[in-house]
Amino acid sequence: MRHSIFLAILLSSIGLLSCTKKTTLEYGLKLEETIRINLLSEPPSIDWHKGTDTTSALVTENIMDGLTEYDYSSSELPTHGALATELTPSNKAKTWTITLRKGVKWSDGVEFTAQHVIDGWERLLNPKTAAEYAYFLYTIKNAKGYSEGKIKDFSQVGVKINDKGQLVVELEQPQSYFPYLLTHHSTFPIRKDIVEKFGDKWTDPANIVTLGAYKVKIWEHDKNLVLERNEDYWGEKAKVKNILAYMINEYSTALNLFDSGKLDFQQSLPSRELAKLRTKPGYRQTPIFSIYYYGFNVRKPPFDNVKVRKAFAQAIDRKQITELINGGQVPLSSWIPVGMFGYEAERGLKFDPEAAAKLLDEAGYKDRSKLPSIKLGFNSNEDHQRIAENVQAQLKKNLGVSVELRNEEWKVYLNSLKTDPPNMYRMGWVGDYPDPDNFMNLMTSYSENNKTGWKNAEYDKYIQEGASIVNRDQRKAVYSKAQALMTEQEVPVFPVYSSVTQNMISERVQNFPLNAMNRFPLKGVSLK
Amino acid sequence: MQKIETWLGWAAIGIFSILVLMSFLDYQIYPAMWWGAGLFYLGYFVYLVISKRMISYVIKRLFEGVIVIFLIATMTFGLLRLLPGGPFDSEKALAPEIKANIEAKYNLNASVPEQYANYMMGLMRGDLGESYKYLGRDASDIIAETLPKSIQLGIYALIVSYLIGIPLGLMAASNHGTKWDSASMIFAISGVSLPSFLIAPIFIIIFSFWLGWFEPALWDGPAYYVLPMVILGIRPAAVIARLTRSSVLEVIRSDFIRTARAKGLEERVILYKHVLRNSLIPVLTLSGPLVAGILTGSFVIEQIFAIPGMAKHLITSVTNRDYPLILSCTLLFSVILVVANILTDLLIAAVDPRVKMGE
Repeated sequence: MRHSIFLAILLSSIGLLSCTKKTTLEYGLKLEETIRINLLSEPPSIDWHKGTDTTSALVTENIMDGLTEYDYSSSELPTHGALATELTPSNKAKTWTITLRKGVKWSDGVEFTAQHVIDGWERLLNPKTAAEYAYFLYTIKNAKGYSEGKIKDFSQVGVKINDKGQLVVELEQPQSYFPYLLTHHSTFPIRKDIVEKFGDKWTDPANIVTLGAYKVKIWEHDKNLVLERNEDYWGEKAKVKNILAYMINEYSTALNLFDSGKLDFQQSLPSRELAKLRTKPGYRQTPIFSIYYYGFNVRKPPFDNVKVRKAFAQAIDRKQITELINGGQVPLSSWIPVGMFGYEAERGLKFDPEAAAKLLDEAGYKDRSKLPSIKLGFNSNEDHQRIAENVQAQLKKNLGVSVELRNEEWKVYLNSLKTDPPNMYRMGWVGDYPDPDNFMNLMTSYSENNKTGWKNAEYDKYIQEGASIVNRDQRKAVYSKAQALMTEQEVPVFPVYSSVTQNMISERVQNFPLNAMNRFPLKGVSLK
Repeated sequence: MQKIETWLGWAAIGIFSILVLMSFLDYQIYPAMWWGAGLFYLGYFVYLVISKRMISYVIKRLFEGVIVIFLIATMTFGLLRLLPGGPFDSEKALAPEIKANIEAKYNLNASVPEQYANYMMGLMRGDLGESYKYLGRDASDIIAETLPKSIQLGIYALIVSYLIGIPLGLMAASNHGTKWDSASMIFAISGVSLPSFLIAPIFIIIFSFWLGWFEPALWDGPAYYVLPMVILGIRPAAVIARLTRSSVLEVIRSDFIRTARAKGLEERVILYKHVLRNSLIPVLTLSGPLVAGILTGSFVIEQIFAIPGMAKHLITSVTNRDYPLILSCTLLFSVILVVANILTDLLIAAVDPRVKMGE
């Protein structure tokens, strides 16, 4: 009896509560003033010098501004001034003079000055901050030494304020794409006094001081984050007053919420649902500057032999793979991703099974059983698995070669790549800035990310040269040569595809600037 | 004496029910109420311990618990250092000097015994360390913020499982051998064998998309609580149903029930007053492991419904190699298990007059 009374109360209260449809959202936000989006996780850190992931970046880039920002109206994403009004290179792009915007105020009313930029850079490079992105400014004179703790005095680092109040930045090497680095959150200015006052807790909504188009209003950890329009913003003010971000780890959960009208924008969609979602009006597919590739471990046979590498690279039809995963990815034979400055569709080795078989014969493996056993490594993930199985089948069919698949948990896999990479290994790269240097640099002999063991002095020279040229045509020619050398002659890698992102946007949201850097600048977004 | 005990027992159940109902209906529960309830329960258990003469037993169990937790902490620490891949390995490889800065900051450049000593010293002081993933947040902060939601979900699910499981088991047993018996046992078997990641989407489609009764995800009020708690409660409900059924069957066949029947007592009275009471003791025994199981097993549900609980940290802290958070989660669940088992022993002593420890 007691149970049934309890049950009756329970059910009737549920009934009453679920009948009333909510007109206001969480925290009393009004629906007509709010964009509701999903975050893929709790932001690990909205301290812009320390955050390294896309979720944290989504927040920091809306609450802060850099000296420059992307021009999202152009697909190649050039930069224009944000907190800086003018950036002038001199001495062949080795010195940069930066004029800062006047009249910008932090959210506590303090005026923004050049010192805040220097404070930010000092903090990023300071060994005590232990920032993963410190290398972003290693290009500045003596910055690396300061970060390593070898130089104790920051005044020796190549950044000064001149008598006109401009920043003068002295670089180690000429760097034509320097303005791009200033779009990145790791180079944003900071209020040192606030950080010192509150310590680790300075990013709490009550403490944080910012100057972007939005301010952090509420941060309920592991649950919700609310951003509110900054009414004192220096530029054009954000069109929508609030952003309500739900932290949802599971893509299909977010999709359920989107389908029931509780989300206005969903980033990242479950890959199994893409075929169905593609037919819906809210579906958006955007090419991004990101690549998926297999690396060859050139330290060990058989891939120490360039002919074998070439044979494998020509024995795999990339189109089969992109059709298999069916997310709109574009087959890529070159190294620079589709749509980026310097991209050449015809670069790289194309699918040619006959040439591949011949090359493998020439390499001394006419009898395929003489090939050493080949392991193909990837981190445990459904999509990587499907791709690896397809590659395995194609190699069997086109070359008569058996490869063994080996998958490992992500961190174990990263450890294997560091210590003893499998003969072929899967990897990806997401661009930090939309410049070919960010991708081409990966395969230099001195890059930590080059796990192939391939080292080529000529290639290194091209990359250093490419970084120093300001003239676009000349740069393009250098990268073209470098790409030819790597993807056609030496072939330490097999690029597979250039990535895309898939998102859902509801009908009430307009002007959502989906872009190749997969950034989410929300200030220009409006509601119908 | 007996009377006070009964009254205290009912008060304990009453306070619990009120708190659960208030939290379910999203009424604000003031800290004073938590403190009051906490003090009451502490007093109740102290009373139980003393009146049942279980002091030495409880002390012994607590002492054992401390040793178990110390061993778990040590083993987890050791296993983590054996696990390949470190907390700061990522797709973008770090330059050696940056890695050195990070390791220095978190004291990871010290020798393993030194790190172990530091960790244990911290543990003694109640300092669980700062998360490597969620920068600037202590592992204890993360737990303090997420654990209440997991407990909330767990308690709702537990109540659901008792509300479904006990009547079902009772029905099956009292209609032993009929189609009702088979029907409820079919439910029980499917409840145990159907995984929640299958039940959840089906329930979401039916109750959220078709009927529109409940919300498909998030954690913001009764309409959000119902689906996850029911789905999480189904498996334990099935276990409880089976256990209740076999236990009731056993009691029904016992001598004192035959006597009651011979006395001509009404079947309903026999069933509710005599059989049910005595057959619930094994079910209660199961509660301790069940609570721990529900709390740790809610990972899938928390993921599917985007519930801001801590079960996801149990898994993601490992994939992130967030050492302080892994250790904290592991320790926390060990503590919950140890405490839940001790409390269950106490509860059994409270309801079962045959149990008298320490005599």
